[in-house]
Amino acid sequence: MEPSSSLPTDQTTPRRKILAVLGAVGIGAIISLTPLLAGLSFFLDPLLRRRAGFKGGDAEGFLAVTQLSDLPDDGTPLRFVLRANKIDAWNEFKDQSIGTVYLRKMPGNQIIAFNDTCPHLGCKVDYQEASRTFLCPCHASAFQLDGEPMNKIPPRKLDTLESKTDPDGKVWVKYQDFQCGVEKKGAVG
Amino acid sequence: MNGMLNWLDDRTGYKNLVHEALNEPIPGGAKWKYVWGSTLSFVFMVQVITGFFLWGAYSPSTLTAWESVYYIQNVMSYGWLVRGIHHFAAQAMMILLGLHFMQVIIAGAYKAPREVNFWLGLVLMQIVLGLSLTGYLLPWDQKGYYATKVATNIVGVTPMIGPQLQQLAQGGTSYGHHTLTRFFALHAGILPALMVGFLALHIYVFRRHGITVSKSDQAKPAGTFWPDQVLMDAVACLGVLATILFFTVWKGAELTGPADASEAYSAARPEWYFLFLFRFLKFEEVDKLGLVFGALYVPGAIMGVIALMPFIGKWKLGHGFNVAFTFALLAGATFLTAIALKEDGADKNYQAAVKAAEFEGHRAAELAKEFGIPPTGALSLLKEDPRIQGPKLFARHCSSCHRHNGHNGLEQIVMKEIEENGQKIQVEEPATAADLGEFGSREWITSLLTNYSQTFAPLKNAGENGEKFLTGEMAEWVKENSPTLLQPENADSLKGLVEFLAAQGGRRELQPFDPALIAAGREIFKGGKLAQGTLTSNCSDCHAMKPVDGTESLGDGAGPGYPTLTGYAGKQWLQDFVKNPAHESFYGADRNLMPPFEAKLSQKELTLLIDWMMGDYFRSNHVEAGGERKE
Repeated sequence: MEPSSSLPTDQTTPRRKILAVLGAVGIGAIISLTPLLAGLSFFLDPLLRRRAGFKGGDAEGFLAVTQLSDLPDDGTPLRFVLRANKIDAWNEFKDQSIGTVYLRKMPGNQIIAFNDTCPHLGCKVDYQEASRTFLCPCHASAFQLDGEPMNKIPPRKLDTLESKTDPDGKVWVKYQDFQCGVEKKGAVG
Repeated sequence: MNGMLNWLDDRTGYKNLVHEALNEPIPGGAKWKYVWGSTLSFVFMVQVITGFFLWGAYSPSTLTAWESVYYIQNVMSYGWLVRGIHHFAAQAMMILLGLHFMQVIIAGAYKAPREVNFWLGLVLMQIVLGLSLTGYLLPWDQKGYYATKVATNIVGVTPMIGPQLQQLAQGGTSYGHHTLTRFFALHAGILPALMVGFLALHIYVFRRHGITVSKSDQAKPAGTFWPDQVLMDAVACLGVLATILFFTVWKGAELTGPADASEAYSAARPEWYFLFLFRFLKFEEVDKLGLVFGALYVPGAIMGVIALMPFIGKWKLGHGFNVAFTFALLAGATFLTAIALKEDGADKNYQAAVKAAEFEGHRAAELAKEFGIPPTGALSLLKEDPRIQGPKLFARHCSSCHRHNGHNGLEQIVMKEIEENGQKIQVEEPATAADLGEFGSREWITSLLTNYSQTFAPLKNAGENGEKFLTGEMAEWVKENSPTLLQPENADSLKGLVEFLAAQGGRRELQPFDPALIAAGREIFKGGKLAQGTLTSNCSDCHAMKPVDGTESLGDGAGPGYPTLTGYAGKQWLQDFVKNPAHESFYGADRNLMPPFEAKLSQKELTLLIDWMMGDYFRSNHVEAGGERKE
């Protein structure tokens, strides 16, 4: 088939024609890419901007959870709801649940805080009283009380969270979500 | 590579298609005047692209539409750019539509055998108008809300089926969630799909008959679509895109305050390209003939004539008529638009309303950024904001007597209608009570102490009882004492007295107060001794005063008619005063002129009004720096 660019017209010299083709292609690219690239940059907003998921807590981002005295001395984990002002795009919802954690009181009043999200694929693990283990209802990931995995399903141990106890005996936790499904523990966002 | 393309061509025949698309011959060669159709297709493509991305961030409901658009515009990366392009491209489309239409009429491209394509073009025009109308509502801001209400109300006067049509469009008897979901479905789904279909037909039929070439051009050598015409089209599209980007960067897409059905919007106007219709409907003669006539029959008749143009064009003078009709329409629309713009330009109160609407949009965005938007929507932020509600309450309840820096609180001059030589004209209504723009400030107190008759000058318009204030004891006291107070030696004494009084109200924007000046002022209030001379009588002889800092009471006052200065001009004082100025700790029943507002204002309204008067509301640094507050 005859390539279109070689079709002769009376007024067109080859040189002029090449310039016209280059011009049409070049300008065509600019005018189609401009709205497309603007739109794509806008679409990439979640990657271009860091946003907090909640507002509240102390200067370092710790949220008050409970009193040390409310935790059992034998290290049995208890689940707590963390409350703060939840930020969802334009909305700020006052005093909402922003996540749940398991707290254990260890000897010497040390606190272990677990994010109760399974590091496998993000379901919530449940503490099983009978076996004293954490079990995930989705794919049967199982963890010991110290968070170590008991089978090959989860890629890593349960994610621990930073915690602290203030002089009044109040326990604070710094809540974070972590990337699921990978061996290395890394905060989301 | 070639093999693969050949394989594809064998299965699809694409080469033939591309060849046909690009090598369409153009008798007489490529021309700039042929670009308008291509620019329209280009802008439509821009709208589809930007529209799809905006769709990914827009949320159609009365509690989230404005909010999500605010978020797109002010928070998300490049949101201002994508929304700006979409906003201004929509307006560019209206202009290009006009140019394309003119070109078709002038060239006679509507005549046989191109009638069907002309009608397809008219259908496309209606779809574009529909897209403009539906898109205008989606941000759910005051401007779009009230402009669209006019449109749906016009639909409502359609004979026979008006109310039913209107309710179908609105998704109910009034505006709500379903108005937005329906408009959005039309705007992003149904109308674009129709547009694509009709555009394909339009281009197909256009290709069938080819470009309409004028007689003078027919003699010239032929060209092809590719690359000559494509280059011209591309350059024209680039010009259009550059214009759109220019406006996006220079002006930006507007977002006025969130839609509020309970709040009159005095800046209501349609978008500029419908301004001529708006102005047309405002003519008294048109109004008398009824809305159906002006808003439906006349535009319908004009569209009817346009649709009949292919037939009209068959007569000898038909083409001339069509061209003349088109230019007459254009001239008429331009003329009406010019009148509308001129009238609005001369209308100070309209200008103030536009400014207020813009300010409300900025304010809502500023509050949303600072506090986050509650689940009840951004409107509730404005409803709780003294900066927005205070001026409105002032205008409604106070401005029939008072002014605020010369206006009614909303920057509008208070007008009244009078008859002069048998003609009704609007004149400024004189105030009958003090201008409260500076109320409670150091300037206000200084002026009151040294120039009482000026501060309360408007009371002379309040009749006999007003005069009583201007000749009363306080007026006399100021007359006697102001020369002493204004002596240069007494500058610090006056400052002290003013500081002491200003500190009683504790107004936030006056802080910090100077303790040394306050202490000096307290002594003068009680003892009347100035640096040079003494006051003829002490403040505490007449006025009650329990200083706000808890120091001992300076006096219990002389009873009704001698307002207490305990907490003067502070929140509690103002609230008590506004509730009942005739109370015995203020003017007393005998002298008071001001109506009590205890029953007229709710506690919430009172608090909003007073917080505004006291300047007690959230301020972001960049917006209200540099005395913006006085706007």
